[in-house]
Amino acid sequence: MMDKLDIRYTELKDFEYLLTWLNDPDNNKWFPFSTSQEIEESAKNWINFSRYKSSLTGVVDNKVCAIGTLFLMPYRKLIHHCMFYMIVDKKYRNHGIGSTMLKNLINLGQNYFKLESIFTEVFENSPMIPLLEKFKFNQFAKQENFIKIDDNHYLARILFDIWFK
Amino acid sequence: MVQVRNLKIRLSEQSDAKYLTKWLSDPEILRWFPMCNEAEIEDAVKIWMSYTKYKAVITAVCDNVPCGIANLYVQSLKKLSHQSLFAIIVAKEYRGAGVGTALIKELIRMGKEDFKLELLHLEVYEGNPAQRLYERLGFKEYGVHKKFLKDLDGRYYNKILMQKKL
Repeated sequence: MMDKLDIRYTELKDFEYLLTWLNDPDNNKWFPFSTSQEIEESAKNWINFSRYKSSLTGVVDNKVCAIGTLFLMPYRKLIHHCMFYMIVDKKYRNHGIGSTMLKNLINLGQNYFKLESIFTEVFENSPMIPLLEKFKFNQFAKQENFIKIDDNHYLARILFDIWFK
Repeated sequence: MVQVRNLKIRLSEQSDAKYLTKWLSDPEILRWFPMCNEAEIEDAVKIWMSYTKYKAVITAVCDNVPCGIANLYVQSLKKLSHQSLFAIIVAKEYRGAGVGTALIKELIRMGKEDFKLELLHLEVYEGNPAQRLYERLGFKEYGVHKKFLKDLDGRYYNKILMQKKL
């Protein structure tokens, strides 16, 4: 599958894939939005970064299978780094697509946007954590009880970053 | 420092925005915020004051003159609505006179009673004297985002992340 993977800039029309993935409860549990309205608004905000060419889409056999995005900062004192989010269609997991997407996203941030660092937030037990560790991301914060699943269940938010210089 | 008399806390009004803009335009204050020019300040003030529609912004007034503003960035996302980030600013001449303490105590009260919050959190840049106030009021550090802010001279500032269970 990896030899068929093509990575291109995200286009606004990729929105429908993002929306479908984020509405899937298996994926949604790793993101802060939950109702259909919240998901739609968040997906719109996410895909809008494609206008700055700070978002990449993975394609296999003409099918969109992953999106990774640099959420560029709005203020000058913060533009040396940014947060990113990434999602891989669950049908395409465990084939190295996440690794290739992340490698390309790092390259985009470091070489095109001249970022010094990128960071991300995940929730505890997220399947993204082993990937971040593989790329030597550094965990710098763990915020207990950040997400409330129900009256008795909470998840911590964990923040990771990587520096290029 | 002026003497603080008749300190009252009230809900903010859109007309308080001009005070926020004025205080943030002072370089000594602005160094502790991520904005660096008029357009960025205007944008931040707009976002900050937009929370007045949720009654989540408060103004401290001393002898009827605004001397500090604080807000809860109440979350619209359901999974996050039990917690909130907050921001606070006190006019330079009113520092060290209990205005910040009064504002945060009122945010804690509002958080618990009006918004049913369970967790309050904040972000403060390393070296900001306000960090001592947050510690005194029971906020605990849960992480440090290194070199989060880079000022126009190229100096980096770490961002300290703190929270308090309500």
